[in-house]
Amino acid sequence: MTDSINTSGYDRMIAYIQALNIYRISLNLNNTFSKFSMEGKIGVIGILAIILMAVFAPMITLYPPQKITGDSLEAPGSVHILGTDELGMDIWSQICYGARMSLTIGLAVAFVSGFGGGALGVLAGYIGGHIDQALMRIIDVTMALPSFPLLIVISAFLGPSVLNVILILVLFSWAKPARIARSQTLAIKKNSYIIAARNYGASPFYILRKHIFPEVMPVLFVLIIGISSHAIIAETGLAFLGLGDPTSKSWGMMLNSATSFSSIYFTPYWQWWLLPPLFMLILLLLCLAFISRDMERILDPKLKIKKGI
Amino acid sequence: MRNDRNSFIFRLLLTLFVILVINFFLPRMMPGDPFSTTSDDDSGDEVIIMTEEQRQYYMNYYGLDKPVHEQFLVYLKNLLKADLGRSIYYKMPVSDVIMLHLPWTMFIVLASTVISTIAGVILGTFSAKNRKKGSDRIMMTGLIAFAEIPSFLLGLIMLLIFSVHLRLFPLAGAITPFAHYSGLGEQLWDILYHACLPVMTLSLAQLTGVYLLTRNTLITVTTKDYIRTARAKGLGEKTVWTRHALRNALLPVVTRAGFMIGIMMGGVVLVESVFSYPGIGMTLRSAVVGRDYPLIQGILLVIAVSILICNLLVDKIYSKLDPRVTI
Repeated sequence: MTDSINTSGYDRMIAYIQALNIYRISLNLNNTFSKFSMEGKIGVIGILAIILMAVFAPMITLYPPQKITGDSLEAPGSVHILGTDELGMDIWSQICYGARMSLTIGLAVAFVSGFGGGALGVLAGYIGGHIDQALMRIIDVTMALPSFPLLIVISAFLGPSVLNVILILVLFSWAKPARIARSQTLAIKKNSYIIAARNYGASPFYILRKHIFPEVMPVLFVLIIGISSHAIIAETGLAFLGLGDPTSKSWGMMLNSATSFSSIYFTPYWQWWLLPPLFMLILLLLCLAFISRDMERILDPKLKIKKGI
Repeated sequence: MRNDRNSFIFRLLLTLFVILVINFFLPRMMPGDPFSTTSDDDSGDEVIIMTEEQRQYYMNYYGLDKPVHEQFLVYLKNLLKADLGRSIYYKMPVSDVIMLHLPWTMFIVLASTVISTIAGVILGTFSAKNRKKGSDRIMMTGLIAFAEIPSFLLGLIMLLIFSVHLRLFPLAGAITPFAHYSGLGEQLWDILYHACLPVMTLSLAQLTGVYLLTRNTLITVTTKDYIRTARAKGLGEKTVWTRHALRNALLPVVTRAGFMIGIMMGGVVLVESVFSYPGIGMTLRSAVVGRDYPLIQGILLVIAVSILICNLLVDKIYSKLDPRVTI
């Protein structure tokens, strides 16, 4: 096994490492699911339901979300399950397709900033010295910046698009995983088995792959869930302020168009226009919170996760 | 210790500098410049609406022909004079627009800080006293789940329940428009009545944090020796809890209240939008919609500076309250 890796070049090796890490994660997930409490299981089921809804959106909806398929502001009925909005677009379709938007942004931001920031933190913690110091300064400043107001301003200047929103959110959420991964690495680095491995001639790359990444990974995973819920909130907030991508219908955009419809509160329209996205968002965030709390609880005896300020 | 404090101040200044740099460079990174329009619909070419001489004149007039670092220094100098430029929409200095709306934001943020701190301490103490009983567990699960709902969604729910469904509170605004008050009392009542829902929303959103902090600190404090000593001296339970336990547990709560103001200044933008409350958050929203760039930058600066000031104050208050920290 090892021979074939040694001879088969760099990219095969990378693939092997990735496979190894993914294997470890899936192993972890299997173990943790059985340890989940009632709440955690509800959370997992809820998230799975929302993911299925997003993936199979074309199959479970009758109308495309951005086509006018009925009268404007139709009440829920047999033709349109949840009614229509002011332009006559089906609300149920918008909810299903909107799930894609929220999940994509949440997951993309969480994975990029979680693993990117985590890798930076591990490297800085392992290398130490000036690089570590410099990274810590940058992390301090990033964490002290008022993120939401800056988010508004930057997306107002850069213009709304999904990619911009993801990039800006990553810019503001990599610091926490980096800091935690760094402190974890510093703690692990002092262990005598690492020193022993190094004395036996293990390369830094080997130590990082075999000893440090697997230890840091569970913590990063919990953080990733937290970051994704933050990202979803931030995207909803931006869209609610009218800074979302106008070509996509996210739940935040639905809230925005419903609340900016004049005198919506004096009509019964809010019952089928405003409530569905509101309900879905709260459901999604609660499910994510349940999962992350449970994972934190499961990991707690081994690792104390430092809460952000 | 001194080293720690110096690095704290240094970090604040560095953060302020980063915000200033972002604020200064963002509009300059945008494509085009203020004197040429880039929007020729058919060809997509730049349409020149001024002659080269006119352009040069205006570039010179606004100081845009100088090197960037000189422009940055001019920007800083203007900031020191509290000159934030002119709002495009309101046609008046940005600082005046902000001063018009800032008091409303300050009012609801401070009110909800006070309310959520007091309520959180009371609930937390109750929970810590009844630790591991049913009431503690129910309260904790409920409040933790509650805390996961972001403040503006909470605000929407409150608005739908109390204003739309029950019609108890006004839908929008900070005062009744075109109202004539018979006295100061009536005016005050009107302001409180309008501020009620936004303040409740912000307080509820912050409540869980204070509650958990109070509860957990109290539980740690009550295991200390001096609590046992106090009980052994024969002091009543009430005195032990209020004079000995709570007094020591309040320290982190006070610090949190300061940070809370900072966090809320960021979140208030959305909450004010929900209730159409005329604070700087609402102004920021309308500035963003109208692309009023000087106003956007000014508001960002005010929010950032107030957060930094809060952090600085927390640091000062903390060292006053806890003699162990003072140098």
